[in-house]
Amino acid sequence: MRKFGMALAVATMITGSLATAQTAYAAQTSHDTNVYTQPAVPKAPGVQMLDCGGTTGAMGCGPGWFWRDGWRGFSCYPC
Amino acid sequence: MNASTRAVGSSAATALLVIGVTIGGIGSAAAQPGDYSTLPVDPNLITDSLAYNAAPPVINPNGQPGVTAVYNHRDGGRQITSTILVLPDAAAATAALNGSRAELAGKVANGQTQPAAVGAGGTMVSGMSPDGSKSVTVLTFTQGNAATTIEFDGAPKDPAPADLVVELGQKQDTAIRDWQAA
Repeated sequence: MRKFGMALAVATMITGSLATAQTAYAAQTSHDTNVYTQPAVPKAPGVQMLDCGGTTGAMGCGPGWFWRDGWRGFSCYPC
Repeated sequence: MNASTRAVGSSAATALLVIGVTIGGIGSAAAQPGDYSTLPVDPNLITDSLAYNAAPPVINPNGQPGVTAVYNHRDGGRQITSTILVLPDAAAATAALNGSRAELAGKVANGQTQPAAVGAGGTMVSGMSPDGSKSVTVLTFTQGNAATTIEFDGAPKDPAPADLVVELGQKQDTAIRDWQAA
């Protein structure tokens, strides 16, 4: 009998907690509780140009430039 | 007017004439020193300073007063040829340049002509050699009595960049003006 009463008391406590929580949540969010997220648009596969060798370039030319001997002698020229 | 007054007047007139002729003569002589070898601008001024090797200049090319200088790139694939003709006056320079431009049609196939901010009447023509073996860009302009033609020859797929053409042309124009003012 004591066990039954104990179990009933525990069950009542749990049920009460859940009921309280639900009430509190309902008070806080009176609107639609669904959360919508904008799905990310997948990007088409692409290649980011670095230099002709695929690095930052010899002699520090940087992306899109290439070190070679050209009209201005040794210098950075566009790929 | 007595004899002494006439003598003084005559002396003064002679002195003025001598001064006038001397000043005028100095001005003309300075503008036309006859030594054109220092006129061409070395393209190494706008490169890594060692890209081009200069051949000895040709003074009075084809019997015309002026100079031609040829600069070869160290890799053997590019050449810059500067020709500066020093003519009696600006009209003659313009006429000479018009003649040179007329000849360009046979030298540059499918040439694209555009104005260039160099000297007077600066014009740049870019295209290919008639046989398609090389790219050809020709810059022409006048500065006073000087008519200048700078030709850039390179590989078919490596034409001279327009900014380099204009930059060298402007430096050449400045050198001509300095030479004329000296």
